[in-house]
Amino acid sequence: MAESKPMNPLEMLAYVLSRQINDHEVVYIGTGLPMVAGILAKKTHAPHITFVYESGGQDPIEGGMPWSVGGPETYRKSPMILEMPYSFGQAAMGLVDTGFLGFAQLDMYGNANTTMIGEEFTNPKVRLTGSGGNNDVASLCEKIVFVGIQSPQKFVKKCDFITSAGHLTGGNARQESGLLGQGPIAVVSTAGVYDFEPDTKRMRIKTLHPGVSPELAQLASGFELVRPAGEIPVTEIPNEEILEILRHEVDPQGFFISMPGA
Amino acid sequence: MSSFQFEYNQEAVKNLKIEDTSILDRLVDYRHAREARHKKDHSQRDKRMSLSEAVAEYVQDGDILGYTGFGYVRTSLQSDWEVIRQGKKGLQSIGSPNTCQSYGVTFGNTPYTHASYAGAEMRGYDKYFSDNIKSGRVKILSDWSHGLMGLGFKAAQLGLPGVFAKSGLGSDLVNYNPYLKVMNNPMVKNGDPCVFVPALCPDITFIHVHAADMYGNARFFGPAVNDLALAGATRKLVITAEEIVSNTDIRWNNKGVQIPFQNVDAVVELPYGAAPGYMPGCYYWARRWWEKLFTMMSEGQEHMDKYVREWILDTKDTRDVLKKLGGVDFMINQKRLAKAAEADNEDSGVSFKYEPWTPNTPPDVFD
Repeated sequence: MAESKPMNPLEMLAYVLSRQINDHEVVYIGTGLPMVAGILAKKTHAPHITFVYESGGQDPIEGGMPWSVGGPETYRKSPMILEMPYSFGQAAMGLVDTGFLGFAQLDMYGNANTTMIGEEFTNPKVRLTGSGGNNDVASLCEKIVFVGIQSPQKFVKKCDFITSAGHLTGGNARQESGLLGQGPIAVVSTAGVYDFEPDTKRMRIKTLHPGVSPELAQLASGFELVRPAGEIPVTEIPNEEILEILRHEVDPQGFFISMPGA
Repeated sequence: MSSFQFEYNQEAVKNLKIEDTSILDRLVDYRHAREARHKKDHSQRDKRMSLSEAVAEYVQDGDILGYTGFGYVRTSLQSDWEVIRQGKKGLQSIGSPNTCQSYGVTFGNTPYTHASYAGAEMRGYDKYFSDNIKSGRVKILSDWSHGLMGLGFKAAQLGLPGVFAKSGLGSDLVNYNPYLKVMNNPMVKNGDPCVFVPALCPDITFIHVHAADMYGNARFFGPAVNDLALAGATRKLVITAEEIVSNTDIRWNNKGVQIPFQNVDAVVELPYGAAPGYMPGCYYWARRWWEKLFTMMSEGQEHMDKYVREWILDTKDTRDVLKKLGGVDFMINQKRLAKAAEADNEDSGVSFKYEPWTPNTPPDVFD
């Protein structure tokens, strides 16, 4: 135990995200860290959750870490395998509790960009992946949790492209636009955990990771973070046992939790 | 040729800088697609032919090509490569995801895309796709979410002109997709904004399945993704199958039959038709082949030209590709991994550990 490596930021993200998952919920899992967090939650505090994947798999028995949301681990001995419109349809119908998503840019109202970076759509600086299921999960699930690395380039005043609607311009804008569900309820980043202020729907600091001050979190954001009154709690960190599970059982190849170049 | 005059989302047409919108028409011309399906010989007859015959006969330059499977899972990669070998040109691609545009029927053959997702999930975005967008080698004709595109195929399969959806609202997708329109639910008095998604009808679609009979009745398992919908939505349909079974076999094992024969134009016996990708229950994907590919995709045009030459133009057919991937050893190993991954076989003792591809990996190691 004494020899174990110190926790890296991606492992922290995976753990904190896993804590956002409530036992017995049906969860829509996006690619990357959400898959890691989902499997970790299932192996620890939330053994009764049901996974839904957009390619059609759902509720697989325990297996390896999927390469993607279409791999065999997403439907390993699933009771049934669906097709894409039915899978997203379940979220629209009210049968999925929480969706977990990544982002390339996120604004203060929880609107996300995974489409392109730049001023001009037809001549972007970078064309990113595009929506995939991101827009659908964000539009249709009852609650949304975002996860990603925090920096001023990622927490932006204005997304270069709104791939997925969060709370749009804040207040009741989401409801008025006709979207379903409550929208984003939390953001898990490398600096802390955020929720959304109930009236304005602006992103608000909920907890900060050990060693992160509100000033530091603000420096890593392109928009003003709402600071709650009173002292800000420190995010709970994983214990050795959970780190062991994460490293040896959830993602033993380190596909998602090893730091690039490390 | 169009039986309708279309009224596209003008904001999106402007934003995408599409000068002549007639290029958009065929995808949503469901009457034209109906006519094409209606004109087919609907008899139960032997439709077997070789892959090269099927591609030569059913893929025309300028066709809208539907992508099936899910990136590297049950995708008709070997058919896609044959389309490249035959030098088909001016194609439009549509699929959720459209990732295969970088390694299936790639940009030289496919200058237009209806985009939804191009990337390698954990490996990040597809730099090759991005470079090709920037250079103008491929043009986005419409930008989608998976769910909205899936509904367009589903509407076509169900014979509907379109559906009202709740995805896309408030997002920029509706500003960059000429086919999507925000409209009120006509049943609700005080306003219920929805996104109208028209039925989407590609020209030609290849679907790789586990088994089909000579008429084209086909069954597969694993994630259906949009393939049941596409089988009905497309104008022309080629089924490639791991094995051709008798019609009696289809009838006596009818729990998995998912694609009816009527819309099928050709049936191709094509073992390993999804290689180097994954075929549920049959063979695992060639992990290091994909990792090497992602690296080349990041390194740009020159490397990808080399890849297309090496794997597609310089191979004759799927058997050639299999030999290159490692032949018998490869086939036995990938079958073992797939069966263990799905818990069809005993999986204790089957290791999924491997050394990811690096430039130091021996040049003939792909599994």
